[in-house]
Amino acid sequence: MVGFLSATLNGILVAGLYTMMSFGLALIYGVMKLVNLAHAGFIMLGAYATFALYSQFGLDPFLTGIITGPLFFFIGMGLHKYVVRRLPESGNTPAVQSLLLLFGVWLVLQNLGYLIWGGDTRSILTSYTMKSVSLGPILIAMPQLMVFLVTSVTGIALNYVLAKTYLGKAIRAVTQNKGAAQLVGINAPRIQMIAFGLGIALAAMAGGLTSTIYPFTPDFGRSFLLKAFVVTVLGGMESFWGVAFGAGLIALLEQYSAMYNFYPNVFTDAVTFTLLVVALVVMPKGLPSVGNQLVKFVQPWFEKTFGRKAVAGS
Amino acid sequence: MKRYLGPAAAALLVIALFSGPGYLERGSLNDIWNVSLYVVLASAWNIMGGMAGQVSFGYSAFLGMGAYATVLLCLHGWNAYATIPVGMAVAAVFAVIVGLPTFRLRGPYFTIATIGVSEAVRVFAQGVEWTGGSSGRRMPIQYGDFLHKWLPDVPRGQAIFLENYYAMLILAVVVVGTVWYIQRSRFGLALAAIKQDIDAAEALGVSATWFKVRAHALSAALMAIAGSLFAINFQYIAPNSVFAFNMSLQIVLMPVIGGVGTLVGPIIGGVVFGYLQIKLLTIQALRDSNLLIYGMLLIVVMLFEPRGVLGLIDRVVKFVGRGLPKARKEARHAA
Repeated sequence: MVGFLSATLNGILVAGLYTMMSFGLALIYGVMKLVNLAHAGFIMLGAYATFALYSQFGLDPFLTGIITGPLFFFIGMGLHKYVVRRLPESGNTPAVQSLLLLFGVWLVLQNLGYLIWGGDTRSILTSYTMKSVSLGPILIAMPQLMVFLVTSVTGIALNYVLAKTYLGKAIRAVTQNKGAAQLVGINAPRIQMIAFGLGIALAAMAGGLTSTIYPFTPDFGRSFLLKAFVVTVLGGMESFWGVAFGAGLIALLEQYSAMYNFYPNVFTDAVTFTLLVVALVVMPKGLPSVGNQLVKFVQPWFEKTFGRKAVAGS
Repeated sequence: MKRYLGPAAAALLVIALFSGPGYLERGSLNDIWNVSLYVVLASAWNIMGGMAGQVSFGYSAFLGMGAYATVLLCLHGWNAYATIPVGMAVAAVFAVIVGLPTFRLRGPYFTIATIGVSEAVRVFAQGVEWTGGSSGRRMPIQYGDFLHKWLPDVPRGQAIFLENYYAMLILAVVVVGTVWYIQRSRFGLALAAIKQDIDAAEALGVSATWFKVRAHALSAALMAIAGSLFAINFQYIAPNSVFAFNMSLQIVLMPVIGGVGTLVGPIIGGVVFGYLQIKLLTIQALRDSNLLIYGMLLIVVMLFEPRGVLGLIDRVVKFVGRGLPKARKEARHAA
């Protein structure tokens, strides 16, 4: 039971990180309908930026987001303005061309990483890396807890922006229907640029946080990118809570499988990637849409047995 | 006259390459082997990724299956060349099994799914014991007899080397020939229709899934042969060499940079990539970051000339062709 509880708790803590990583991807997909393969590169750069700030200026790795966030926000906007935007408009289905372009950006970033920092594995060791907090019989690693705190704060801030501000409403409008958004006077290209910057900033910040838990190399964004794909595909590409739900699912699956040995641990990634393919094929619009369809499927029967009023009343 | 120029040049090139051991050094022959391998990979990918427009980032899975089939069966005492059909069959069957569900996905979704599949295969190969895990497997040398029997005065080491050289050259010719044939066939037309507009193609009675499955299986099988020859040449394989994600990336890069969906584009891409790779890998500083240049090239190609180097050449030819008579006319006017 203790094992189950601690696995659950750890899963929830890791889910915060996955949410942050994946929401950047979902944001960019929502607004521009393009799949940002360069996400992996920015996750990696975020980790190295945090490493540099920590080792050069002694900045606490959990606070570097204050610097890397805005920095990568502008880098992302620049990338959108000077590179991504130059691609021909692709309509509602993302074109392969944009995918290959961003793949090129990823390659450049990854290999710049190799050129600058070499291929050695690095990790960040702070004074509290090895510490843990005990909640009764459950032990929680200190870095995990800190990461969860930071991601929660970011998540709340992000939710506020998306729900309450003009920018957030404009982002959601462009996500739903770009043409209609432009008709009511939203400057869609500008919103796209800002959303792209925001997505990149989230990737870099998530990368920085990841670097406090896992060791990293210039190639380490790749497995996280694939995880982010699984998360967004499971959660439906377009809402924050959908993404958080998908992240929780993946994180818990990983924790439980490590705990109960559903399969040998070396296969953890293989299972995640297989899940990605299965999820893409079976429910391309994410689990929430499956839920909606289920409701649609069940509703008539429900109304028939309990009367229309019972359903409407609830 | 112009019609025969291309085939004549191709025939000359093939003859020159096949008689290569007569006048080239071993180092250059090795380079040719490498470049031919890249041409094979690029052209085989091009059947599915270029002609049918289904961009897959997961082709290292098929390459690896061919390589592993060869090595594992050789360890059980098979003849190395007899394992090639087995590798082809395994790769083709896997291609069909993976393809049938994922072909419902369109564009980037298909691409992401292929990344997932190939990474899952790699992790699997690293995890199970019979593949040798992440340290890979070495295979026994038991070939070279083939050529040695025919030409008894050639030393055995040389015979092995020549055998590898000719095997890869023959494969390159076969793969390029296959692509050439497909372009001219009903099959190629169907693939082109699917690439242009899949809904329109289906409406006209082209069974998109069926053609995609066939193209996928074909290019997977060709990829598997390349994998087998790769294993035979290097005698050692590991998940991080043949199943590596980097391998998949290289396979995609070459045809895209060369000119996707054409016969010559992937060949140009393969030659340029293979040659640069050989030169770049000798520079110590660029050993890890050799893909940097291709990343930049890919960005430039996607932004300015999606048809790749071939498109660029086409543009230059058209520009010069348009410019020349005009210039002549202007010169005449001036005079």
